[in-house]
Amino acid sequence: MVRRVHVLTAAIVLLVLGGCKANPPGKVETTTVTFAKHHVFIRNKDQKNPLPSNAATWADGKEAFSHYCVACHGRDGQNTGVPFADHISPPIPLLTSKDVQSYTDGQLKWILDNGISPSGMPGSKGTLSDDELWSIIVYLRRLPPAGSQGTPDMYNH
Amino acid sequence: MKAGFMLRGLLVGTMIAGIFPPGIAMAQAAPRRIEVTAKRFTFEPGEITVKKGQPVVLVLHSKDAAHGLRFRDLNVDVKVGAGGTTEVQFTPDRTGDFVGHCSVFCGSGHGSMALTLHVVD
Repeated sequence: MVRRVHVLTAAIVLLVLGGCKANPPGKVETTTVTFAKHHVFIRNKDQKNPLPSNAATWADGKEAFSHYCVACHGRDGQNTGVPFADHISPPIPLLTSKDVQSYTDGQLKWILDNGISPSGMPGSKGTLSDDELWSIIVYLRRLPPAGSQGTPDMYNH
Repeated sequence: MKAGFMLRGLLVGTMIAGIFPPGIAMAQAAPRRIEVTAKRFTFEPGEITVKKGQPVVLVLHSKDAAHGLRFRDLNVDVKVGAGGTTEVQFTPDRTGDFVGHCSVFCGSGHGSMALTLHVVD
């Protein structure tokens, strides 16, 4: 009787773990989730960036981006030098992609504040100030060419 | 020769005194010295009230890591090393409430480090 319980428990555990296996998302899944993110889950569509989009703000954004975001997105926002960028599911998007760039500034701020669950994107509210987050959005709108900024320091050792 | 030199010095001194009368020198208010301590994601004090037009010397102490204090709208940014002290002088030229943030990334609570500067008439 006890043995049967153990076998049943092991079978359930295997089934649960099997269900957790992460496969790359298919085309239908990607399209559906992208639509849902843009139109349902990611809010704050109408908020405008209070900071001017100029060279000084861009430089502030680049610096703020370098503190925290580079670990996953690379210094150029295009995953350059990030060793695990293609090995997680969903993969880390290129921040120059249409999927990312078609968010409004307000939506990007919402994503930076709250993250996107259950993807690996964490919220940064409290870790970076509002000023820094808005300046990062200015930086995101004019990212440097892929590879032009080198590898993040943390991966150079 | 020596008398000529002294005469020229006297003339220059008189001209300078005429250009900068004593009243103007006195019109500039003395700077107000304000001490702020930064430590583990807070500024102490968290609020400061100053007068528009009165020069301020902001002295920033760090009790732990490197920190900074930046008021973007007032174009003021001061940075201090770990455990150090630094100061900056500025004169607020408009009234309002200005929120300054830590300008040196200092850890998980960095974004919540804020100090409100009330500038009044």
